[in-house]
Amino acid sequence: MATRIGVDIGGTFTDLVYYDDETGETVEGKVPTVPHAPEEGVVNAVKGHVPREVIEKAEFFLHGTTVGLNALLERRGAKVGLITTEGFRDVLEIRRGDRAEMYNLFWKQPEPLVPRHRRLEVVERIKADGSVYRPLDEASVAPALAALVAEGVDTIAVCLINAYANPAHELRVEELLRAGGFTGGISLSHKISGEYREYERTSTTVIDAFVRARMSNYLKRLDGRLRELGFKGTSLITRSGSGSMTFAEAEDRPFETIMSGPVAGAQGASEVAQMLGIEALITADVGGTSFDAALILNGQPQVLYEGTIDNMPIQTPWVDVRSIGSGGGSIAHIDVGGLMRVGPRSAGAAPGPACYGKGGTEPAMTDAAGYLGMLGPGKLASGITLDFEKARAAIEPVAAAIRQDVETTAIGILRIASSSMANAMREVSVEQGLDPRTMTLLPFGGAGPLMATLLADELKMNRIVVPPLAGNFSAWGLLGADMVQSAARTRIMDLSPESIETVNAVLRDLFADIATRGDHLSRETVKTARIDLRYKGQEHWLSIEVPLDGETVAESAEGVRAAFTAEYLRSFGGTMTEAVEIVSIRATVRAPLPRRNQTLKPPEVSTEAEESVLAYSFGCRKRMPFRVVPRSAIVEPLQGPAIVTESTATLYLDADWTASTGDRGELVLVRSEAN
Amino acid sequence: MLAHDTVLHRAGVARSGNAAKADPITTEVVRHALNSAANQMKRALVRTAFSPVIYEVLDFAVAIYDPQMRLLAQAPSLPMFMGTLNFCVEEAVKNIGGTENMFPCDMIMYNWPYGTGSHPQDLAVINPVYLDDGELIGYTAIKGHWLDIAGKDPYCTDTVDVFQEGTIYPGVKIYKRGELNDDIYRMVLANSRVPKFVAGDLNAQVVGCRVGAAGFLEVVNRFGRDEFRNAVENMFDHGERVVRSYFESIPDGRYVGHGEMDSNGITDDKIPFEVVVEIEGSNVRLDFSNVPETQVGPVNCPVPSTISASRVAISMLAGYGEAPHEGHFRPVEVVTRPGTMFHPLPPAPCFLYGWPALQAIEVIYNAISKALPDAVPAQSGGCICSVVSWGTREATGEPWADGSPHPTGQGAWNGGDGGTMLHISESATRFSPIEVWEAKNPWMMDKLALAQDSGGPGTWRGGLGVDFHFRMTEDIFITTAVERTKNAPWGLLGGESGRANGAAVRFPDGRVVSVPKTTRFMVPKDAVLELSTGGGGGFGDPAERPRAAVEADLKAGYISEAFAREHYPHAFGEAAE
Repeated sequence: MATRIGVDIGGTFTDLVYYDDETGETVEGKVPTVPHAPEEGVVNAVKGHVPREVIEKAEFFLHGTTVGLNALLERRGAKVGLITTEGFRDVLEIRRGDRAEMYNLFWKQPEPLVPRHRRLEVVERIKADGSVYRPLDEASVAPALAALVAEGVDTIAVCLINAYANPAHELRVEELLRAGGFTGGISLSHKISGEYREYERTSTTVIDAFVRARMSNYLKRLDGRLRELGFKGTSLITRSGSGSMTFAEAEDRPFETIMSGPVAGAQGASEVAQMLGIEALITADVGGTSFDAALILNGQPQVLYEGTIDNMPIQTPWVDVRSIGSGGGSIAHIDVGGLMRVGPRSAGAAPGPACYGKGGTEPAMTDAAGYLGMLGPGKLASGITLDFEKARAAIEPVAAAIRQDVETTAIGILRIASSSMANAMREVSVEQGLDPRTMTLLPFGGAGPLMATLLADELKMNRIVVPPLAGNFSAWGLLGADMVQSAARTRIMDLSPESIETVNAVLRDLFADIATRGDHLSRETVKTARIDLRYKGQEHWLSIEVPLDGETVAESAEGVRAAFTAEYLRSFGGTMTEAVEIVSIRATVRAPLPRRNQTLKPPEVSTEAEESVLAYSFGCRKRMPFRVVPRSAIVEPLQGPAIVTESTATLYLDADWTASTGDRGELVLVRSEAN
Repeated sequence: MLAHDTVLHRAGVARSGNAAKADPITTEVVRHALNSAANQMKRALVRTAFSPVIYEVLDFAVAIYDPQMRLLAQAPSLPMFMGTLNFCVEEAVKNIGGTENMFPCDMIMYNWPYGTGSHPQDLAVINPVYLDDGELIGYTAIKGHWLDIAGKDPYCTDTVDVFQEGTIYPGVKIYKRGELNDDIYRMVLANSRVPKFVAGDLNAQVVGCRVGAAGFLEVVNRFGRDEFRNAVENMFDHGERVVRSYFESIPDGRYVGHGEMDSNGITDDKIPFEVVVEIEGSNVRLDFSNVPETQVGPVNCPVPSTISASRVAISMLAGYGEAPHEGHFRPVEVVTRPGTMFHPLPPAPCFLYGWPALQAIEVIYNAISKALPDAVPAQSGGCICSVVSWGTREATGEPWADGSPHPTGQGAWNGGDGGTMLHISESATRFSPIEVWEAKNPWMMDKLALAQDSGGPGTWRGGLGVDFHFRMTEDIFITTAVERTKNAPWGLLGGESGRANGAAVRFPDGRVVSVPKTTRFMVPKDAVLELSTGGGGGFGDPAERPRAAVEADLKAGYISEAFAREHYPHAFGEAAE
């Protein structure tokens, strides 16, 4: 057990949660994000909400940030040079031929991160089986280096064709660049990814080179500021593929953190699922501008192995979180054909929804919810009192355009938003061969609890778990992020007893490679391995976890095949008789953080006079009185309709739902008829 | 006025409910839910499919229809297949003897080209969907490209009738009330050079149709059939208004677009054709009646694909980026003349139906450019530049096959230089990474590079073409289908042409053979297939291209200095800094 502090930087707010191991207390806080100097927001949050003695005794600082992501999106990164195999410098620019917006005649790819004049070729060629077709012409490296130095590049990315199968030439190019006097960063593709697909690997390598310096500077600055505040423990940052890594390692492999934004929520959801023994859970993270859904099966998030940012692929594990542009700030508007649409445009933080009274005049989803009474009396913890008259005024013109009254229109805004969120959740589930009706919904984020019963009704789900600190849940999720390191290598071969030997050899290499990345894993570690397998001839693969004995696969080829077949059947509803082929091998080392022994204050009967509001019930299709109850006062099961308030979120409990407080501070909502 | 020998095609005008009774909110919710069901179908197909043609090239269409065969939703896949499945659902149902011979959990296979619009390799699986009380509520359907269906060759550019092109399944039940029809299944496997792939892809189509049916039923059951139907009518009316609002902004008139095919695959004569776009108010009529007679070679485009090409062109312009449904097609009328290359009659060969169809999309834009040049881009390379290859592996004796389209330069438009991508008719398709190719196919790439000076000059320049050099490591057979090698991509408003497409085989002895359209051509070990895809046309006078942009192109090597001096002399003068 260990005291720890988690800080998650969002677009609008920087959220903090700390866990004090001595008292078992979990405390939350929120400060505005400082966009130009995100570490200042972090420092403000820590200074403002964490007592000095807690900072000093904290063993871990866990961090979620979009610094790397923003560097990419805003194209503020290093000046990168790229070295490729002769004949292939345009791989990065030609890409794969597709359009992100397929019905848009004028869509065009964004500019590549490395312009053509900084992409240079060297003479060499390796074949797909790793054999050398043309040895590296060392004389061709010097002119490339000279040209890049003349361009003043900060870092050099090297991605040679088929380097995943044989890294010798990349390694030699690095030696020659150093021998030639280059002192900047060098990113070698086989170290970054190790997987095949040259465009995707090049893109990943270039992203690494592009964000590395910025990320490294940021992490150094932040670590320094934390030390000044008295922090003496280990600083960790979340990985896109779940878990965390030390700042030192993140400086070395920054691309592994790029897609970590929505991961902390999925991480927390996994912990809740494990804590409560929930087999299949789907998250609904509703923020101001976006809605994120993730599946948590048997306490684990689903991990994918290639992602895309701003149309640039990244070959790295990432938690499969599906986002759509729908949230509390999503604006209702009339389209060219005269129908009402909701989102994806958002009122954002400024001006925000009309009812915030900060100058917004267009109707946001929050305005509709507020107008319908779903936010209760509208006194937010931040001190803002929502102005529902402004909400009504904003909805009116849209209502007139579709010839409906304001009430019907507000209901419609909620129905459209919740149905598109539900569609996203349904697609994520069906894709895994699962029926949402059999799953538990875990809503969080500022507007998650507001939408919870609506989404469950759309999907015919019968059980909802609202986690503690729902509005700050991502930061809470950070606190459980075990340290994780992983490496992968493509090695295509038939699955056979002999190839399992090759897998073992590759695993030895991969674990050895991981071991060189730092000694902070001296604590107890758990090694795991996965093999990506497919039917021969197919391109798509499934990643199957295999049991290990030390660093060796403790399963026969037949056993691995059986596990693959079972997973294939589960995912696709059928199997084939084809031979099975190994594609890639993945090694992971996990150093679990000490368990937290979380206790939350037991609920107390409130002595304050209870309020009630006349709010719309979607279940009963009419307005009715909703009790307004503080979350901390739910001792006995609370039968809806009710509005449950807490400091960072408001729960809308529709008439046919009942809420009870669970042992771990969670609220469990069940549909009344399912009682 | 229509000539007596032409046929007018319109979108479905049947009504099943009352739009006026639908509330706008439910309409929007139903629209989302139908698209989501179609997406679920697509994901199931892509994840289960066996051949890269499905999961990478996206050579399929996935759609949901109502009992009147009107398109409810189509998942993003190959735009070229936009709105084509209604014809084959209609024909397939007719051929099994009508809806009275159709039962829950039946799956019908259909690939007669004059009903699908495609070549026989594009096979549709159709799944009728019933409510619990037995009422037919519609269909889910998936048309997918099969790697081989026992045509005279795996891929052909030289067929002279449809029977050379593959096995025909004229509407047969592969599943009867949920039971696999083993007799048909064995016929399917027996009629392919790569039965494993075909078995895998057929299975994926069946799985996809079932997933779609479950999603579709859920939507209908959630609202009840009456409310659902009213919402659907309202959704169609809305889509129609969206498209009409676009055409109201284009001046009324009769605009003629000109295209030209290189050859019909049998004879080498060029085939000019024209498409007339007539706009009147918010109505748009695309007239294909003044096109050449049915060709002796396979460049005939059956009516469903002629209509589909029209729908793609219009939806891309006027659909505001939305997933299409029947309503979007209502303002569009298409006129064809039976017996022509855009309305061939059986048994005319149509293996390369897609090539005139995809060119027609840009010919329609060519016509519209005469009304509003800013509304459309200049021409792209104008082809998908397909190469299909197959053989027997030396080491194992195993048969193999692969095929891919290739990217070309895209046309510039007022406001942007062209990019380098696949043709707009395959806008979401990807070609394989070369490391994936090399891991499984007997070739090594010598080169994958943007071709200097290939983009058409202009104020905005065309996108660059690409040089692909495939060095064979074993003897292999190829079929190439590369069009627009005799005509360079057109520029607009003073913009100049880009480079035309080309394909050639360079033999080890130095001999070079041009192979734009060739079937079963043997490329021996160590020979190199050099595919040089075209560059996009430019937009606007090159003299207006900013000097800085010319200098940037020079620095990047997109253009050579000689080319720059020829086309952009203003960038070299003593002009002001």
